[in-house]
Amino acid sequence: MPEGFRGRPVFDGNKCVGCGGCANNCPARSILIFDVCQELRILQYVGGRCTYCGRCAEVCPEKAITMSREFETSTNDIGDAQQRMELFMSTCQRCGRCFKDESALEKLKLTGYRFDDLQNQRWIFGAGAYQENQPAVKDIFIEMDW
Amino acid sequence: MIARERLNQLKDKFGSAILRADLPSDRQLFVWVQPEAVKELCRHIFRDLDARYVISIGADDRPFSGKFIVAHDFAFDTDHVLCSLLAQLPGDEPKIESISGVVPAANWAEREMRDLVGIESVGHPYPKRLVLPDGWPEDVHPLRKDVPWNHVPPEFKEGASFEFEKTPEGCTVVPFGPFHPTLDEPAHFRLYVEGEMVRGCEYRGFMAHRGIEKLAESVMSYNDIPVLAERICGICGCVHSVAYTQAVEAAAALRPPPRAEYIRTILLEMERLHSHLLWVGLACHIVGFDTLFMQAFRIREPVMWMAEKITGNRKTYGLCVVGGVRWDITPELKAELNQTLNKLQAEWEPLVGAVSRDKNIQKRTRGVGVADRNVVKNAGAVGPVARAAGVDIDCRRDHPYAAYDRVDFRVITATGCDVWSRVVVRMKEVFESIAIIRQCLEKMEPGPLQLEIKDELPVGRIGLSSVEAPRGESHHFVITGENNRPRRWRVRAPTYQNLQAVPAMIRDQQIADMTISLGSIDPCFSCTDRMETIELRSGERKTWPQKELLALSQGKK
Repeated sequence: MPEGFRGRPVFDGNKCVGCGGCANNCPARSILIFDVCQELRILQYVGGRCTYCGRCAEVCPEKAITMSREFETSTNDIGDAQQRMELFMSTCQRCGRCFKDESALEKLKLTGYRFDDLQNQRWIFGAGAYQENQPAVKDIFIEMDW
Repeated sequence: MIARERLNQLKDKFGSAILRADLPSDRQLFVWVQPEAVKELCRHIFRDLDARYVISIGADDRPFSGKFIVAHDFAFDTDHVLCSLLAQLPGDEPKIESISGVVPAANWAEREMRDLVGIESVGHPYPKRLVLPDGWPEDVHPLRKDVPWNHVPPEFKEGASFEFEKTPEGCTVVPFGPFHPTLDEPAHFRLYVEGEMVRGCEYRGFMAHRGIEKLAESVMSYNDIPVLAERICGICGCVHSVAYTQAVEAAAALRPPPRAEYIRTILLEMERLHSHLLWVGLACHIVGFDTLFMQAFRIREPVMWMAEKITGNRKTYGLCVVGGVRWDITPELKAELNQTLNKLQAEWEPLVGAVSRDKNIQKRTRGVGVADRNVVKNAGAVGPVARAAGVDIDCRRDHPYAAYDRVDFRVITATGCDVWSRVVVRMKEVFESIAIIRQCLEKMEPGPLQLEIKDELPVGRIGLSSVEAPRGESHHFVITGENNRPRRWRVRAPTYQNLQAVPAMIRDQQIADMTISLGSIDPCFSCTDRMETIELRSGERKTWPQKELLALSQGKK
């Protein structure tokens, strides 16, 4: 397999800053973002129809996504294809809101801004591509001590 | 300023009918005209000025201007000008006089316009439904802006069947397709046969629509679409992706860096190489010479490996973004590519010798599937079909894009008009492609790969782009829009026009020659069938209703 082969993307939670650039640039809309609360952001990669185009790895400002060499990824459980990161967003000491990498996000906006989130997943995956009664994304259960 | 000259010619003759004109460059000419004059203008351009018909586009512009837009694209090949004739139609009742009477090649495009955008072509000679499924209601037009991309009308009748024309007297019907061993994709020809001779046919296609244009116009964004565009076709994917990005770049007046242009050229030519090698193999297979089929595929494989090394994938390169390319060609890859080309050339020469000396192939292809100059002109055929009829057109030379203006190559033509000539044209073009790639590797200089785009792309501009695919000219038409996506994106794949020449090619020929005649245009139905909003239209609905088929394919009962 040649060096630059594009297989399944692999996400590194230690490097990710949660800017959402990959979600905004994914042509297959395979990366979704969900803010559970102010400090916790979920980034879910729904591998089901990923085309391994590598746009996410290309736009990632932290190089947290690498295109692996795995391509034999067929499975009969849709959950196997997924990757999920729970990202703790650090907050600004002054205003209390989350930091985002301003410059990177600004740049990403220009290369194609769009926001996909898990709340819109039914809309994204609706209409025949996925059946109504079939879970497109494994539902998220997060234990929180509210 | 040849474009201005052409404009002045039109102004002299049609003065008041021309409302305004844009000349964004010397290569592109946009003329806004009154709808009543469109037919006469098209006749003048097509017959008197001898332009080549490219495509007609219908667009729903009601949310922005309250009107519909109709565009007829023509190419002045010797003048290097692409011309678009645009007219605005009222938003409530869009009707325009059909041009199919004077420009026969517009037949399909006008029917498609009626189906998908709901613009009626008054006086069309054969106004049968072309694209939409049989059970689709008459008044729902999927490419209108008020129809959501995932809309399935409740009135959609699943069991509706297609009505064929009446069989001519004395003829027997032989169905060819929808699934046929020589076709990789579904298309149905209903051949009217008298004894062994084909007297006519009815074509029924558009069975594998994927709604690509609607998806792009309503869901995706500028830089997502190249990845979608390369999935229009399984063979000339890079062509569509380059054509789309070039159309957007033309609309937004962007110019990619020179190195990006060279890399686009190299990969386009690599695509032509593997496509032509595949086609020669398949043609040999169709006429029954399977050894050559195997050899052609063996020779082709290193080209695929090379593409994989450069881009990370054998076929879906993911090469283009608006304003540049994503993959670089490193010095190591350059050396390796040069070696591959040397080997390819050394292996291709004996194969060409074997094909050209084989009597069987010649007997099966000479004088078969004849499409002469007239057929080419009237059907708007492009690529090797046109060049094999002595029509000297090639977008790489006539409408240069990427780095083609900086390389030397010959445009191969032949005069036989038959399948054999198409074989010869394709076989010789392989050598030209090898030469082009070598020149590009030689001339390419280090530099940036992508243009930095600082501002939003301008809204409401029109861009045209023609790219020479292995099968002929692939033409893209883009109107830029809001929300970081185009308002209208129209793809015309070469097979769209070439298929319209097939009925003329197979008429009064033996039915056994049907396969190679059809194969000789290198038909690519997935390109042609690229748009619709419903996924499945089964040709065998009587035994397998759509629901059951769907359930079967998903393994659920």
